[in-house]
Amino acid sequence: MIRRILFNLMAWGIVLAVAFPLFWMLVTSVKPQFELFRRPPTMLPETVTFEHYWRLISQTNFLTYFRNSVVLSLSTTFVVVGIATLGAYSLVRFRYRGRESLAFLVLFTYLLPSVVLIIPLYLMLVSLGLSNTIFSLVIAYTTFALPYALWLLRSFMAGIPEDLESAALVDGASRLGAFKDVILPQLLPGIISTALFTFILSWNEYLYALVLVNSDSARPLTTGVMNMLISSFNIEWSLLMAASVMMSVPLIIVFAFLQSYLTRGFGAGGVKG
Amino acid sequence: MPLPTQTALERQYSLLGLMLIAPTVMVFCAVIVYPLISAIYLSLFQIYTPTLQGSWVGLDNYKVLLAKGEFWTSLKNNLIWTVGTLTLQIVFGVLMALVLHQNIWFRSLARSLILFPYFISTVVAVLVWRWLFNDLYGIMNHLMMMAGLIDFPIDYLGSMPNAMISVILVGAWKYFPFVVIAVLARLQTIPDALYEAARIDGAGPIARFFDVTLPQLRDVLVVIIMLRAIWDFKEFDLIFLLTGGGPVIATQTLPLLVYKEAFALNQMGMAAAYAVVMMAIMLVFMIVYIRRTRDKDA
Amino acid sequence: MINKFGLTRRGALQGMAATAALSSLPVRAFAQDVTLRWWSPQAAPAQLEAYRFQIAQFEAMHPGFRVVFETTSDEGYAPQLAAAFSSGEVPDIVTHLPSFAVQSYYANGLIEPLNDVIEAIGIDDFYPGANNVFRAADGNYCATGIGNSAANMLWVRHDLMREAGVDKIPETWDELRAACQSMQTGGIFGAPLPYGRNSMTSLIFIGFIHQAGGHVFTPDLEVDIDNEGTRNALEFYKAMRELCPPGATNYSWGDSLTAFVSGATATGIYTGRVLANVRDQNPGIADEITCATYPRISTDVSPWTFNDFASVFIPAQSRNIEAAKMFAAFLFEPEGYIKQLHAAPGHVLPLLQSINNNPMYQDNDIIRKYSDEVELMSQSAANGFNLGYESAEHTSNEKAGEVINAGPIADLVQRVVLNDENVDTVLGETATAIEAIMRG
Repeated sequence: MIRRILFNLMAWGIVLAVAFPLFWMLVTSVKPQFELFRRPPTMLPETVTFEHYWRLISQTNFLTYFRNSVVLSLSTTFVVVGIATLGAYSLVRFRYRGRESLAFLVLFTYLLPSVVLIIPLYLMLVSLGLSNTIFSLVIAYTTFALPYALWLLRSFMAGIPEDLESAALVDGASRLGAFKDVILPQLLPGIISTALFTFILSWNEYLYALVLVNSDSARPLTTGVMNMLISSFNIEWSLLMAASVMMSVPLIIVFAFLQSYLTRGFGAGGVKG
Repeated sequence: MPLPTQTALERQYSLLGLMLIAPTVMVFCAVIVYPLISAIYLSLFQIYTPTLQGSWVGLDNYKVLLAKGEFWTSLKNNLIWTVGTLTLQIVFGVLMALVLHQNIWFRSLARSLILFPYFISTVVAVLVWRWLFNDLYGIMNHLMMMAGLIDFPIDYLGSMPNAMISVILVGAWKYFPFVVIAVLARLQTIPDALYEAARIDGAGPIARFFDVTLPQLRDVLVVIIMLRAIWDFKEFDLIFLLTGGGPVIATQTLPLLVYKEAFALNQMGMAAAYAVVMMAIMLVFMIVYIRRTRDKDA
Repeated sequence: MINKFGLTRRGALQGMAATAALSSLPVRAFAQDVTLRWWSPQAAPAQLEAYRFQIAQFEAMHPGFRVVFETTSDEGYAPQLAAAFSSGEVPDIVTHLPSFAVQSYYANGLIEPLNDVIEAIGIDDFYPGANNVFRAADGNYCATGIGNSAANMLWVRHDLMREAGVDKIPETWDELRAACQSMQTGGIFGAPLPYGRNSMTSLIFIGFIHQAGGHVFTPDLEVDIDNEGTRNALEFYKAMRELCPPGATNYSWGDSLTAFVSGATATGIYTGRVLANVRDQNPGIADEITCATYPRISTDVSPWTFNDFASVFIPAQSRNIEAAKMFAAFLFEPEGYIKQLHAAPGHVLPLLQSINNNPMYQDNDIIRKYSDEVELMSQSAANGFNLGYESAEHTSNEKAGEVINAGPIADLVQRVVLNDENVDTVLGETATAIEAIMRG
């Protein structure tokens, strides 16, 4: 019994240590300016103020950036997961020339550093007339999200017993019919899990957003917040922390609900190389 | 290999298969293969970034690069950073997964809190850590001084070896939850019967971990290590925003060097050459790694 | 407004003036709606408000025109402009970038000469020589200034000086060090000098080199950084390290400014932005602060003020060059320009004599309260230099932007001060690195 309590205390000690930056972010975001630069810093705010949040919402472009980020991440997730599901199905369940090398290519594309792809990609987007739009970032994000999603889904797909599909085919279903009725429901946890990872990747991306987009109407949160609050004449720590909280809280809420999917999905297919 | 005896249905199936993979292949060609080929092509020129005008120099960029001390320093930093942060991520991730697999109080909440660093943007993570590390108003220095560990504020990001250690630690903090997620998922699928059998054989908790858990985790770890190694190797945002490569070039890794050549020095050709070399290095590591892990399977 | 613009500046810029004078009629040359994209890294909320005012006024005067303001940043402009130039999707007008960045773009044919805009604004109205820094090798002006700033003023607090018994504002390095030493007590550090691997360190340290009578380039742009001045500057900069906060190894403009404003350091090194930030963030010390030109090795060396010469330029690929020029000239219209300057009083200083003498400009709380300081900064900035233009004898340096961005000078500081490396070796290597960039 005592061992159990000790173990719990230790476990929670670690958890709280890991989460301490989250706590500190919250505390800083509600401290008024003058308390922020107090030395030594106060552990709990002496005066709690929500003015930073209010300023962020009412006086800055924060909400626009937020909307852009949501649209951007959702579209990326949608496009990438859609394409990758079909691709993974094809790679796992069909036989044709070049299948193996394609699978290796997927792995190889992981290796490409974003810095290299930026300029050629940008030129391509401009020639398509897409520069400075959210859509251009969706395209750019597929460069890193698609290989990852494809690869994740491929291992999930491999975990679904082949008999199920065969049975449906014997019963007279078409290949696509079987895909819809048998494979998709089985794959759902995998799809949700992949979608979450894709969403996280696109929500957090910085470099492409920095170079490819320079218009407030298309700028996502990552570069928007940095651009807006860190400048050569001021670092608005309290606003930065308030922005950080607002950028993170929606994600945390969503993931708190979907957390079981995240782990379950990963386990069901078993991550296989 | 399509054989001559292939039936009509089989041929129809492979056609369908090709159609399903077609969107993927098209996207790959457009957004990955084309830029990749341009990168290799660009690396043979000397190019002024803003105009993209340049002259053919053949392999000169590569010659210059391999003779440059900065390249080797950055490569060394890159390896230190990757190995350091990856080791911490894996060790701490597996440990934490084992803890969270137990039935602790408010397990769900604990899991959410642990996963939190992975969800937040790198930008947010860096901002928070820079604020924690702040020399004057930062809580880290204050707490350590209160605890009597130090007498004078530490310079976490501006001097060596502190800067490298800080970057590695923040990287580990940010990415270990990924390991937790994957390992936790795998742990849940290990049949209890295996543990029972080990217990009957008289194995203690530590022996059970090495005899039962670890072999079961092997597959998942092989994959995670490769994925994280690749990502860590080409990590840009975190290091760039945290130290910018400083002090001097002590935390400058290859991606930062590529960025500097491309956008600070406006030498796109040289930048592309660095990037190509960087990819080659990763490719070699990857192939060796895959070989090694496959051999053991056999 | 309209008439004034047309009247005073007609003739000089015929196309433009004609458009302005005829602005009540439908504008033929721009029959379609024209959208101008305007980039600037200076975008504090108050400044944005001033820009919005200028844009609204311009749009009201010229129906069919739209101006969209887009923020860039000091760290981000290089890749963003690189992407823009290489694709042709350029902004139509860019303001507040340092002069040395502009010269590099002009040398590569990316920028439209602005001679006619300068004439339209009124060449005599500029402080004498204010546009010299923008004179390119071919004799044209590649840009014009939108504001001066005196970036390396020494900021001090009377209250701390009194407490520490420092009776005069330091003029020489020895006095500065002594003052910092006696003011460094109980959690307050002496100075927030930057030792980071960033442009601030490069720019500020170039100031120190000159304050020791040294230089980076010879007037005909041979690299000559290994001189007595640089060595003395390094030695002094190193001696100052213990008087700066531990995190100064990562300081850039924002950190350095905040350190002085929040009271963590006894002296500061910054532009007049200090004034507004003290008002907003630490009003308690507002009556105690003042500034002076930064101390030198001895009073025999004259002060050297770093001015980044905030510019206005127009990319050559813009599809609306004429409209952009019209807008560029419009930015100097007193009402809007003064609003813009008031958004950062003392930070962006006027380049036009008529504006400095304009009662409307003088009518601002901060400019009134600190009139001596603002006047001193205006004087110093007008006689200021930077790496693109090290002294009046120097030809303008097209590669200065790359030298700053690639950071060999910041590396020099870090290697000598933080890593204790051998000065001779490091100076030699720095010279080689800069030469490589110059050949680039």
